[in-house]
Amino acid sequence: MAVAAIRTSKLSKDYGLGHGLFDLDLEVSPQEVFGYLGPNGAGKSTTIRGLMGMIQPTSGSAQIFGLDCQRDSVAVKRKVGYLPGDMPQFGSLRGKDVVAYLGGLRGGADPQVVHGIAERFDLDLGRRFREYSSGNKRKLGIVLAFMHKPELLILDEPTSGLDPLNQQEFYRLLREARDGGATVFLSSHVLSEVEHVCDRVGIIRSGRLVKVAELEELHGIRVHRVEIEFAAESSVPEAAVRSAAGVDEVAVVNHRLSCTVKGSFEPLHKALEGTIVTNLVSHEPSLEEIFLTFYREDVTTELATS
Amino acid sequence: MTAIRLAFRLGRWGLVGFAGLGFFAATLQAVGFFQVAGHTAAERAAFGQSMTQLGTQFSILLPPPVRPDTVGGYVQFRAFGSLVFLFAIWALVSASGAARGDEERGLVEVMLASGLSRIRMLAARIAAFACACLLVALATSLGMEIGAVGGGEPVPLQAALEASIVLAALGLSCYALTLLVAQFTSARNAVAIAGSLLLALFLVNSLSRTFDWLQTWRWLSPFRYYELSRPLAPGGNFDAGAALVLLAASIVCASLAALAFERRDLGSPLLRLPARTQPVTYDASASPVWRIPVVRGVYDQRIGIIVWAAGVATLAAVFVVLTKTLVQPLLAIPVLRHYFDTFVHGDVYASFLGFLWFNVAQLLMAGFAIAQVARWSSEDTDGRLELILSNPIARMNVVLERAGVLTVGALFVVAVSGVAVGVEARVQSIDVDSTHLLGAVLLLVPFTLVFAAVGAVIAARIPRATVGLLGGFAFASYLIIELGPLFKWPAWALDLSAFKLYGEPLTNGIDETGLVIMSFIVIVGFAASIVFMQRRDVGA
Repeated sequence: MAVAAIRTSKLSKDYGLGHGLFDLDLEVSPQEVFGYLGPNGAGKSTTIRGLMGMIQPTSGSAQIFGLDCQRDSVAVKRKVGYLPGDMPQFGSLRGKDVVAYLGGLRGGADPQVVHGIAERFDLDLGRRFREYSSGNKRKLGIVLAFMHKPELLILDEPTSGLDPLNQQEFYRLLREARDGGATVFLSSHVLSEVEHVCDRVGIIRSGRLVKVAELEELHGIRVHRVEIEFAAESSVPEAAVRSAAGVDEVAVVNHRLSCTVKGSFEPLHKALEGTIVTNLVSHEPSLEEIFLTFYREDVTTELATS
Repeated sequence: MTAIRLAFRLGRWGLVGFAGLGFFAATLQAVGFFQVAGHTAAERAAFGQSMTQLGTQFSILLPPPVRPDTVGGYVQFRAFGSLVFLFAIWALVSASGAARGDEERGLVEVMLASGLSRIRMLAARIAAFACACLLVALATSLGMEIGAVGGGEPVPLQAALEASIVLAALGLSCYALTLLVAQFTSARNAVAIAGSLLLALFLVNSLSRTFDWLQTWRWLSPFRYYELSRPLAPGGNFDAGAALVLLAASIVCASLAALAFERRDLGSPLLRLPARTQPVTYDASASPVWRIPVVRGVYDQRIGIIVWAAGVATLAAVFVVLTKTLVQPLLAIPVLRHYFDTFVHGDVYASFLGFLWFNVAQLLMAGFAIAQVARWSSEDTDGRLELILSNPIARMNVVLERAGVLTVGALFVVAVSGVAVGVEARVQSIDVDSTHLLGAVLLLVPFTLVFAAVGAVIAARIPRATVGLLGGFAFASYLIIELGPLFKWPAWALDLSAFKLYGEPLTNGIDETGLVIMSFIVIVGFAASIVFMQRRDVGA
């Protein structure tokens, strides 16, 4: 059985006042592209810093390719390419010096990979870091993460600051890396981004993992928005629809009814019996809606608990 | 009003810190006066005479004292004389931060986007600093007054107020001058260029007391106008005209700075050279220096280290010349000649050189260490350390490499300055023992490392407060050797000062006990830093 690329067990980092990361159990398989979704402050960067051995967990453990992220942090980092959420300042150093400096710390980088990625993103490494735009700084970060052909890429919101064309180029680069055998752990709060490249998605909120699912599985959770138009002579069965299982957010305007349906359509179908429906439109759930549904559920659960 | 409140908020720690320093320094000097000056008229006269002689030795840095046999004259000389440096440094750091530092951080863009005009924004910063400067100067006078009243010899309040006004005016003029210079430089060079200009203006004035040819230029220096007022000593004076010149110079410089700020692009100096076109490259640097530990750090900082070395070497050469100039007339006095022959072992010039230059060199190397530690601290807070540690490099190696870079840099700086001292001493026919000179120069390296080790411990624990705490440590260390003898503190208390551990190697050779203690502090400090670094969170 192949060792997991990433495995965490009850990984927690408690910053107090409810901030941090709590009891994270996560497993990412080799050659998988794993999307880690969550809003700002959800705990994405804390997870990543825990994996990178930058912070000491309050409890629990994290392993990368079977190596402990704290105890074997140097060995772990030989296998990892890392792109932080914010690029630090390198002042007057030129891009080529930054690459050589960090490559030197690593014990060497592949010059052809550096050249290839810089050329693909049209990043002039001869310019000084302080002259770079935020997009170019991000491109430099991408070069630094990929320059040694790592087995695992840990990328913290990698496309922030990149224009759409460069984002597409980056997605292509990710797919190539995966096809070349690399595993990718990518955090984002942009849902369309994970739709492009990820095999599985984990959703984190308030430091807790809410859901891990295949992309298909997420799409399969039916949270459809439905709009129904009734004939003028037909009644609008508002009460029956409101009481149908899985139906929510019911609104009626004249002979039009809109609602959301989670799970099976059967209860709604039964509620509509005896009426004349002239039009029915069901929208496929976007990832955004799925994302929001998870959050809303969580809030509802919290309110019910309190 | 909101802009002024924000400006105050941005500078609140500077205000609190410098007010505390000024108050503390003035109080201690006033209290110290009553400890050492004696109580009878004869004792006071003898004390005044000795202070005047001391003042002659320090005339390259401070103006000669007026009536140092009184608490007012003494504090004017000891506290208000040296606080000039403090105010100039505060003004330099605050103004370069206001003019360019906040711009780099994006704060200026946000403020201007809120509808505030450039002129109003700059005016708010100037007004806030002027108020803060006056408050700090008043705190200093208050400290002096408390000490003087405690000794039963209060200084007239009007004199204390006048001393505050002229000190605040000097601070404001340095601030406005730095603001103006910063409009013409790149953000990263603002402190260095404005600092060099302020240093040059200070030296023009102070050296004009020794070199007559400089007297024609000293009208340019704000420090000249500060010195024209000495209100604290009985019979001293407050030169209102000179204070007005300082205020007028501040207004002119601030107005020109505002005009320049109106006309330049944010993030760029008013005048900039056209960028050289160069071919696009997609390759990493092939230079091998980036692959060698320590060498890559030294290479990264090469320009800064060279500038430090050149600056310290230049000052070293100047001090050798000054030593000759100062000692020569003293030796011409038969009584003093006899005194020196009796009490000074070895060459008189070499003894004075050891006293004058190597005391200053210690301060400079402490500053070098603080600058390096500030770099470590900013690496931590701006995320560079996180990116470094994302590579397969142990945290211990990061600490050791930092120590290695600092050691090589310090060695280079002191070596160049040592050569400058040796060559200039030969030119001036000062007989300096080459072994002692080598020892004195090399001993500056462990001395620098003491500050670095303390800084490394602080940087590993609380990086955001490192510079302030290490600066406080250096200040406390310096105060111990300044005030310890005055208050007759025990020897062990004096040994707590890093400056005491250095000893007087040029005349007495290396103090082995001091060297052992320094080595111990360095080893323990860096070892503790490694332990703390292993256990701490980075980037959190």
